[in-house]
Amino acid sequence: MTSVGQYVVVGAILFALGLVGFLARRNLIVMFLSTEVMFQGVVLNAVAYARLHRHLDGQAFGLFLLVIAAVEAGLALGLIVMLYRRRGTLDAEAWSTMRG
Amino acid sequence: MSPATAYLLYFVFALGGIGVYFLMPQGGRPKRAVAAVFGVSALVALLLVLGTRVVSPDAPAGYFYLFATVAVLAAARVVTHPRPVYSALYFVLVVVAVAALLVLQGAEFLAIALVIIYAGAILVTYLFVIMLAQQSSVPTYDTRAREPFLAVLAGFVLMAAVAGRAGDLPSPAERATVPVAQPEGGEPVRSAPEGNTAAIGVALVTKYVIVLELSGVLLLVAMIGAIALARKCVPVEGYRPPPQPLGKVGKEVAPF
Repeated sequence: MTSVGQYVVVGAILFALGLVGFLARRNLIVMFLSTEVMFQGVVLNAVAYARLHRHLDGQAFGLFLLVIAAVEAGLALGLIVMLYRRRGTLDAEAWSTMRG
Repeated sequence: MSPATAYLLYFVFALGGIGVYFLMPQGGRPKRAVAAVFGVSALVALLLVLGTRVVSPDAPAGYFYLFATVAVLAAARVVTHPRPVYSALYFVLVVVAVAALLVLQGAEFLAIALVIIYAGAILVTYLFVIMLAQQSSVPTYDTRAREPFLAVLAGFVLMAAVAGRAGDLPSPAERATVPVAQPEGGEPVRSAPEGNTAAIGVALVTKYVIVLELSGVLLLVAMIGAIALARKCVPVEGYRPPPQPLGKVGKEVAPF
């Protein structure tokens, strides 16, 4: 069995890359793809800590995280389709007037 | 882990951050050569740091380096590629690499579920939407990132906060196993089922049964919500809406 620290570092890198993509990209679809990359980092970290503590809670958490990811993808893509029909563009800046 | 190795990790992350910054679409030609120099040097430094027992006393197996490299490189391309279709395809690579890393950690069931659900279901949905919103040429919002420097800075701070102390984690072999409390007078504790999949299955229907039912309800709610969101007004044969009286729109009837 290998150690946990390496997996935590890789998970943190995936999470941070997803955050960078979510903040920097303007395409709505790519923004949500970046959140999925963040989910991957979280799953990796959860499983690593589950192995550290020698129980299954982390893996069960990863499974429910898959459920959340599926729900999020379905709703987000429904929203994106609706927004695209309204404005004809996927640019997040097109909706910046919704800012408070 | 000494502070020096923590600074070493921060330095590696800074190198990778500079590489990602140059790889971001910023209008004009991307500086791929600069990005490649920084990215590859950051990756090599990261693998060296991870491999030379700095982060933890025992170095991981060889497959770890392969799949970690694939995952990190593909994730960098997901967030920087100007065409969403390629982003989605690189994301498949991320999913497969992460699934392999999960297998290395002994979470086989979760790895298979990840591949089936992500690469099989979620990604196909993403590709459908990308095809639906296809533009003939690459639009400007894909070739120009929004504040790439600040985004990379935020990611760097987050990564340093999360991963900077990763070396303080004990390795699983060092930990003393926690003694399991035996219930007094009750029935004896059943022996744990064999294998990862069986153990997860038992845990799902005993310890997490409420959460399991709740996630089913959540999926149903999300399905109804997604249908309601993406529904289109389909014209029905033989039905026409009642005509608005002329001259009243904008005066008595609100225009919006």
